Amino acid sequence: MCECCAQKKDIYLPQLATVADISQMNVTEKYLRLAMDDGPFDYIPGQFVEVSIAGIGEAPITISSSPTQGDSFELVIRKIGRVSGAIHNLQRGDKVGIRGPLGQGIYPVEESRGKNLVFICGGIGMVPQRSFIKYVLDNRGDYGDVAILQGTKSYDLRLFTAEIEAWGKRGDVQMIETLDEGDARWKGPVGVVTKLVSKVETDLKSALILVCGPPIMYKFVLMALAEHDVPHQNIFLNLERKMKCGVGKCGHCQINHAYVCMSGPVFRYSDLASLPEAI
Amino acid sequence: MAKPKIAIFDFACCEGCQLQIVNLEEEILSLLGVADVVEWREAMSEKSDEYDIAIIEGSITRMEDEERIKRIRGCAKVLIALGACAATGGVNKLKNNFEDFEEVKKCVYGKAAGKPHLRTGVTKAVGEVVQVDYCVPGCPIDAKEFTYIVRSLLLGKTPEIPEYPVCVECKANGNPCLWQYDQVCLGPIIRAGCGARCPSSGFRCFGCRGYVDKPNVEAARDVINRYGLSVDDLKTKMVLFGSRQEPTIYE
Amino acid sequence: MTVKKLTKSDFASLVEDLIRTENVIGVQAKGDRFDFAPLASAADLRLDYDVTLQPPKKYFLPPAEVLLTFEVGGPYQSQLDGQKFILLGVHPYDMIAINQMDELFRQDNCDTHYLTRRNHATIVACDVVRPSGHVFASSMGTAVVKQGYDVLLTDVGDSYVVEAATPKGEQLLARAQNAVPAEPQALKRREDVWARNKKALNHYELKCDPAYLPKVLAKSYKHPVWEEKAKTCFSCGSCNQVCPTCYCFNVQDDVNWDLTTGQRIREWDGCLLDGFTKVAPAHEFRKARADRFRHRLYRKATYVPQKIGGQIACVGCGRCVGACLPDIANPVSIYNRLIDDLGIG
Repeated sequence: MCECCAQKKDIYLPQLATVADISQMNVTEKYLRLAMDDGPFDYIPGQFVEVSIAGIGEAPITISSSPTQGDSFELVIRKIGRVSGAIHNLQRGDKVGIRGPLGQGIYPVEESRGKNLVFICGGIGMVPQRSFIKYVLDNRGDYGDVAILQGTKSYDLRLFTAEIEAWGKRGDVQMIETLDEGDARWKGPVGVVTKLVSKVETDLKSALILVCGPPIMYKFVLMALAEHDVPHQNIFLNLERKMKCGVGKCGHCQINHAYVCMSGPVFRYSDLASLPEAI
Repeated sequence: MAKPKIAIFDFACCEGCQLQIVNLEEEILSLLGVADVVEWREAMSEKSDEYDIAIIEGSITRMEDEERIKRIRGCAKVLIALGACAATGGVNKLKNNFEDFEEVKKCVYGKAAGKPHLRTGVTKAVGEVVQVDYCVPGCPIDAKEFTYIVRSLLLGKTPEIPEYPVCVECKANGNPCLWQYDQVCLGPIIRAGCGARCPSSGFRCFGCRGYVDKPNVEAARDVINRYGLSVDDLKTKMVLFGSRQEPTIYE
Repeated sequence: MTVKKLTKSDFASLVEDLIRTENVIGVQAKGDRFDFAPLASAADLRLDYDVTLQPPKKYFLPPAEVLLTFEVGGPYQSQLDGQKFILLGVHPYDMIAINQMDELFRQDNCDTHYLTRRNHATIVACDVVRPSGHVFASSMGTAVVKQGYDVLLTDVGDSYVVEAATPKGEQLLARAQNAVPAEPQALKRREDVWARNKKALNHYELKCDPAYLPKVLAKSYKHPVWEEKAKTCFSCGSCNQVCPTCYCFNVQDDVNWDLTTGQRIREWDGCLLDGFTKVAPAHEFRKARADRFRHRLYRKATYVPQKIGGQIACVGCGRCVGACLPDIANPVSIYNRLIDDLGIG
C-alpha cells in the first residue's frame, strides 16, 4: 500500500476557505479574496485552484493575486456557469472549498529575471496575467522593460481600472489599453489588442511575451508577433481548458498528450509544436 | 426564506408522469419540507394563482389550452415541461401525421367523435407555445431525474441533463447492443438520462426522451443499410415519439 | 511463489468455501454473453467464458461513485470504499489493463478512491480457454500475463494449475484442500496453453509490433481515415464505456432534500461524447467528431503510453469492436490501414 492510501490522503478533498472580501467589478465580473482556514499556501503566478461551492460543484479558477501580496489570495470570476454563478452570490464570511494550488503555473518566473517583459491581455486574460504582473512590479528592480497591453471589448467591461491607471503612472511601465468598441467616455486607443503590439517600445525579439485572452485571440497575436520575428521560445500562452479534476486524471483538459492541469495552463509556444490541438 | 411555491398542471396527456411523482411516496414528504405545493389536481383540491415553479404535464392541442398555458407562464417564475408530451409533444404528435383531424377523431372515438369536449387541433409541445425553462424528458419521466432537477432548481442551480445518447448508460449497465438481437433500438440518437431503462430490460429504446442535440443522420443511414433495413422500417420505429420532430433521418 | 495443481471439483469446493466467508465476484453467464457479477454459487462461475460485456474495471472505478460528502458551510468528507473482495476469472488482457490503470491512478497524484478499492481486492486471473470473436490480444502482446494478479489459474484439462504470486494469493491458495504441487507435466501443459494463446487470441491481426504504433501515429495525424470513419460515428461513447483502459470521468454534486447536505459524485465520461471539452457554450475545443475519434486512437497508442513506460493502452480485448454499431471502432483495422498507407508493414 502506498503512503497516500495509508494516510487516506484524498486529491479530490477540498479544504475550507473563508470569503474575506467580495465585490462586483463590472456587470459580469466579481472580485473575491479568500483566506484558507488552515493557513495560507505557497503558490506561483499562473497556478489555479479548484473552487467548490457545496451542492453546486467545482470550477478551476486561476489565481489573480501575486504571492508577494500576503496570506490571502484573490480570484476574479465571470458569471458563465453553475459554479461561477453561485460564487457571484457569496457574501463575506461564507465558506468555499479549495483544492490547490494546481498546475505548473510556468510563467517564467526565474528565467525572466533581468529580461524585458511584454504582457498581452485580451478581456479577462488580464485576470491570470495580473498575478505575474504584480509579482514583477513588486520586484521591479529584477526586470528590464515592462510593457502591458490590455484590450477590452467595451468600456463597461474594463477591469482593475484603478490598478491599470496606477501602473500607467509609475513611469517604469509602458501601459497601453485599448477598447474594441469606441465609447464617448473613452479617450484612449480603439481597436483590437493585436494592434498595440507594434507600439511596444522595447525590443520584442529579446523580450519574453506573455499572452492570455480568449482562444480566438491567440492566432492573431501570434501572427502579429511573427511579423516582429519573436522567437517561439520567448512566447508564453495561457491555454485554459476544462480542468475538471485538476490533477491529471479526468481527461477533460487534454490537448493531445498534454494535460493542461498538469503541464500548464501556461505553455511555451515552442513546446506547442507537438500539440496541434493547442491553438 | 419562504418556501418556494410549486404548482402542477396537466394538459393533453395520460397523467402518467404525475403518477410517477405520486409514486415517490416518502420523497414527496421531503419535497414538501422544502417547497409548498399550492395546486395539483391529481393529488389535492386547492387551487392557486401564486407560484414560483409551474410544472406542466401534457401537450397543447386546443386554442383554450394555449390561452391557459400562457396565463400559467405569466404567473410562474420558472416553468418546467414534465414528460414527453410537454417536452416534445410525445405520442400526441402522432396525430400531426394526418391532415384530416375529423377522420382521426372518428378512428379514435367512433360515434362520440362529434362531442364538443373532443375538439382538437395540431399538437404542440409546451415550448412551441410559451418559453420553457427546463424539460424533464421521458415517457414516463424518470423519478430520480425529476427529483434531481427539482432539488437543483430549489438550490438555484441549472440541472445537468445529459447531452449524450442512451448508449452511454446502456453500455455502463453492461448490456450487449440490442441490434445484435435484431431489435431496431434508437439508443444511439436519443438523449440519455433514463439510465437506459428499456434496453436494460431487453426492450429497444423507443426514443421517448427525444433526440440528442446532434444526432448523426449519416451514421443512422449507414446502420440501416448494414442491417438490410429500409428507411420506412426505421420510420415505423421512430414514429411513436419522433413524429414531427426535428431532426428526422428520413427526410 | 507457489504453484500447485487442483482438480476442477476441488477448485469448485474452494470457491464454495470462499463464498461462505468472502465477498466473491466472478464471471457468469448473462443471457448468451458473460459478465462479472457477485457470485452465489461455484456452479455459476464460468471460467470457460470468451469475454465479459464489461471489463472488471468497474470494481475499481465504478460507473458512478460518491467521492465526498459535504454540508454547506462545513468541511468535506472523503468517502473511501474499503470493502474486501475477490475477483474471480480475470483474463490476461484485462489484468494487463488493470496493471496500467494502477499505474495511471498512482502516478503524479495518487487517487485514493481507486487505489483503496484496488488494495482491498484479491485478483484471481485465469488464462483464456475460449477466444472471443473480436479478440486480438495476441497481436497486442497481452494474451498471457506475468504480474499483477494474486493467483493465476490455468485450465490444463481435468484440473487447474494454480499459481499464487502474492501473500494475498498464498493465503487464498492455502484454503484449497487437496492441492498438490504441480508436477512437471502439468507445468508443461501450462506452457502449452500460453504458447497456444500467444497465437490463438488473434481474430484481427495487427500488421506491426505494437511497440511500433507510436511511430505509425506520429505520421498519421492528418490521415483521411479519421474523417472517413467518423462520418458514421454516433459519438455514443460505447467504445469508451466498454474499454478496460478508458478512465475519463465527470464529477457532479447532488444534494439531499434538506438542500444543505449532499455528495460529490464521479461518473464515467467518454472522450467521444459531444461536449466533452466544453468549458462554456462558446468554447468547445475538440468539437469535430473526427477529432474526437482520432483522440481515442491516439490516446491508446501514443498519449497514454507516454505515461506508462511505452505500453500500448489497447489490450486487444475487442470489446469496442463488438460494441460499435456502425462498426468503425476496430483499432486493428485503423492501425493496419495506416501501416499499409505508410508502406511500413
